[in-house]
Amino acid sequence: MVADRGLLAASARFFAAPFKSAWTHRDLIVAILRRELRERFRGSAAGWVWAVTAPLLSLITYTVAFGGSAKLPNNAVASSPIDYALFIFGGLIAFNFFSEMAYRAPSLLHEYSHYIKQTMFPAEMLAVISTLRAATYTGIAFVLMLACQLFFAGSLHWTVLLIPLWFIPFLAFLTGLTWMLSAMGAFTRDTSYLMMTVAPLLMFATPVFFSPDSLSPAMKIAMYANILTGFIEIVRDLVVFGRLPGLLITSWTLFLSVVTFWFGYWFFCKTRAGIADVI
Amino acid sequence: MSSSSEVVIRAQHLAKCYQLYDNQHQWLKQTLFGSFKTYYGAFWALKDISFEVRRGESLGILGRNGCGKSTLLQMLCGITRPTKGELWVNGRVAPILALGATFDLEATGEENVMIGGAVLGLKRPEIRSKLGAIADFAGIGDFMDQPIKLYSTGMRMRLAFAICAHVDAEILIVDEALAVGDEAFQRKCFDWIDNFRANGTLLFVSHSSAEVMRLCRQAIWIDNGRVREFGRPVDVARAYEKAIKVEADDMKRFSAT
Repeated sequence: MVADRGLLAASARFFAAPFKSAWTHRDLIVAILRRELRERFRGSAAGWVWAVTAPLLSLITYTVAFGGSAKLPNNAVASSPIDYALFIFGGLIAFNFFSEMAYRAPSLLHEYSHYIKQTMFPAEMLAVISTLRAATYTGIAFVLMLACQLFFAGSLHWTVLLIPLWFIPFLAFLTGLTWMLSAMGAFTRDTSYLMMTVAPLLMFATPVFFSPDSLSPAMKIAMYANILTGFIEIVRDLVVFGRLPGLLITSWTLFLSVVTFWFGYWFFCKTRAGIADVI
Repeated sequence: MSSSSEVVIRAQHLAKCYQLYDNQHQWLKQTLFGSFKTYYGAFWALKDISFEVRRGESLGILGRNGCGKSTLLQMLCGITRPTKGELWVNGRVAPILALGATFDLEATGEENVMIGGAVLGLKRPEIRSKLGAIADFAGIGDFMDQPIKLYSTGMRMRLAFAICAHVDAEILIVDEALAVGDEAFQRKCFDWIDNFRANGTLLFVSHSSAEVMRLCRQAIWIDNGRVREFGRPVDVARAYEKAIKVEADDMKRFSAT
């Protein structure tokens, strides 16, 4: 076990740990994810129709409300009247993905307290499971967005193919965030109230309805410190405008996601010994 | 009994302290300034527990409410960590702590078997192949396709035990779970446990000395976080019964120091 002592080996093990754990528990993750997905619309006759209806309705609303009147920001050429609706919808997809996680994460471990206290349950996988669940609904909304664009504009931009490069860092960021929030939420309910207070306000600090280009330089920098801005910009660039996102914003977003992911994991591991005793 | 004498569980001077707070402010202070001052009341659920279990043995753990039995079990399963002392566990543990802890009332019996099996560490194809056997053991017939919320308490328990009986555990931890079922099902469970003891290790927790004598070759009696008696189930049970008659129910048992 000489290799164990090396700092390099130790950090490699740490970086690999979440993936190794996810692979070991893959059957458990799938089983619980399936249950959670079923649970959401259980008892309703229409079931999954609701998962499509909600984003579809909001997309229609934005099209009707903004479609005819508004010009695209940052002077990009509007190729179809619903471009602005898609512009907003792109922002909303990213923001809703974030806020669903932010609201749920603080109470996540309480939801599963039976599992954590009475079975040998890999609690660190709950963040992964809940992110995957939210990702499913985000995926539905996203496909709807593409279908809408295909229907109205007649074609998709080739940059849509790069979407995994947006989606995977987003998943990593939210998983890391959930690790942090859920561990804090296990110890104090204040985390829950904090997120309920902050998340709606964050919507205004995030360019969901506008473009950061329309702001003053100082505000712009403040805006870009918010990682959601990066994710929103990138998805708009890729889907609505059909261009490559800027190198600076892409690398900044990527950097923040990676840091959040492993910091969150580290934080969760650090606190998990006490979690079963307090929830 | 198995001739192998390999130790599968070894506990040495286990102790577990829970931190009790008067309110959340105290907790916050402890989190921020914990290194300077203590803001919580310490509750020692376990004070000093040492024992060894060898492969193929069956150990009964006796004790009254609040003596630390459940904490000890949680530790053996790796759910909570000891504050002091050392613990080795070697083998796949199947806890029957609270039967059906993973049950989702809205989901059907079959779906719950899939989830419960996965939580106990089975792979999906393994559970699928055992689904029939589990349904047979539980003996709840067509209810397997119905949501658990329609089950009676006994049916839930049957299903939960059936899952635990099919996970191929090396160490089985049973926590007074069998009291719920009817006579016939209890006998079925005890028969199964008897079979299991042929090559597995059993830890049986109860406050009923009759059950411990029926199932175990050895017993310990935990009182107030310490091992009070250790030895043959008959002797331990007799001492335990005697003490229960003499000692009044101590009202101060659950208070922090």
